[in-house]
Amino acid sequence: MILQMSNIRKQFDGLEVLKDISFGVDSGEVVSIIGPSGSGKSTLLRCATFLETIDGGEIRYMGEAAARTDASGHAVYVSHSELRRFRSYYGLVFQQFNLFPHFSILRNLTDAPMEVQHRSREEAMETAMDLLRKMGIEDKADAYPYQLSGGQQQRVAIARALALKPEILFFDEPTSALDPELTGEVLKVIRQLAEENMTMVVVTHEMSFARAVSNRVLFMDGGVIVEQGSPEDVFGNPQEERTRRFLSVFER
Amino acid sequence: MTLDTMIITMSAGMLEAMKIFGLTLIGSLPFGMVIALLKKSRFAIVRGIISAYISIIRGTPLMLQLLAWYFGPYYLFGLNIGNWRFPALIVGFIVNYSAYFAEIYRGGIESIPVGQYEAAEVLGYTPTQTFMRIILPQVIKRIMPSVTNEVITLVKDTSLAFSLAYAEVFSLAKQISASQASFTPFVIAGVFYFVANYLVEFIMNRIEKSMDYYK
Repeated sequence: MILQMSNIRKQFDGLEVLKDISFGVDSGEVVSIIGPSGSGKSTLLRCATFLETIDGGEIRYMGEAAARTDASGHAVYVSHSELRRFRSYYGLVFQQFNLFPHFSILRNLTDAPMEVQHRSREEAMETAMDLLRKMGIEDKADAYPYQLSGGQQQRVAIARALALKPEILFFDEPTSALDPELTGEVLKVIRQLAEENMTMVVVTHEMSFARAVSNRVLFMDGGVIVEQGSPEDVFGNPQEERTRRFLSVFER
Repeated sequence: MTLDTMIITMSAGMLEAMKIFGLTLIGSLPFGMVIALLKKSRFAIVRGIISAYISIIRGTPLMLQLLAWYFGPYYLFGLNIGNWRFPALIVGFIVNYSAYFAEIYRGGIESIPVGQYEAAEVLGYTPTQTFMRIILPQVIKRIMPSVTNEVITLVKDTSLAFSLAYAEVFSLAKQISASQASFTPFVIAGVFYFVANYLVEFIMNRIEKSMDYYK
């Protein structure tokens, strides 16, 4: 198991957003999380990446606990410096890209590997150029984020996350901020990563993409995982009424 | 007094004004950042003290503050500090300008999208690295126009040193004008300030341009 989240509980001002959620991701798995907005899927991702702190439950990466529930029932995290070590296990791609606007594309990809992981400049540069080539934007190495289209920026963001060589990559609605004609190029890159057996968790509204790419689909609603299974089962033969109702909206 | 002697005498005064200007900037640009960061402190008491400080500084005239720094030690505490005039001026200016710079910095820091912090955090940057490498460079670009404004105001505010009878260019202009029954010294002072600010504008424009490479 690369990631194991158990009995995760999370409230915002008394509103329960995650109600005792458990799920794990194995190496090489591609998991899609679908569900209506407000279902808690983004919050789950933000909890997995420590951007939100959980109220209760356990988060483990590579079998090691980053947060666990103590005797009083509250979640306790490891120290800040320990958490930073856990962060090297994963990468996160945001809906809004969040590239660093004052860094060139190349620097966006090399700065963290050099500053955070203390890799050599040569190694960081080589990795970065390889990734840019893979993303089909090696000619943009010296450009700045504002000069790129949304689709290109998101591909840079994916490359930036991969430059740190994570074990698992999270995507938080990676195409939701893009113009429809630009989603394809981003989804293509994610599909390519899936073929290379990159472990990924994708929160998405792109149903056909989720169906085609993932090994497992989670349907979330109201802070719980309503249904999960292979894409064939969840999309082709949903067992729960709520799943059917949600999916029917997309079939129209 | 000939025009030549006037200009030479007042040039020395302009040099004094520039000394106040330079020392104030050297002190208040970094100190303002400390204040801005303290205003975001976890401790309510620290935030409260900083808010009060900024309120008082912005709510009272700089001239009054300078007088307070100069006369305060004697009238409040009976202290007689030798050669206190210039230090009092500099302390007064730095304390005052730090408050304004702090507010400019705070506005700049708060204008950076939260996504920048989140991206940096997920990439594993420490909070210090995040601030120094990701946030601060973007803040500096955003606040340059406001900082330029403040710096230009400072050039002119050095004239308030006349309230402590410090011999900078404006004090000298007043003195010479009174003794010579002439308006010329004020014209010279005006030209000096204008030229100084023209230079400030030029330099600040260059700095702003140097950060034009990204949006």
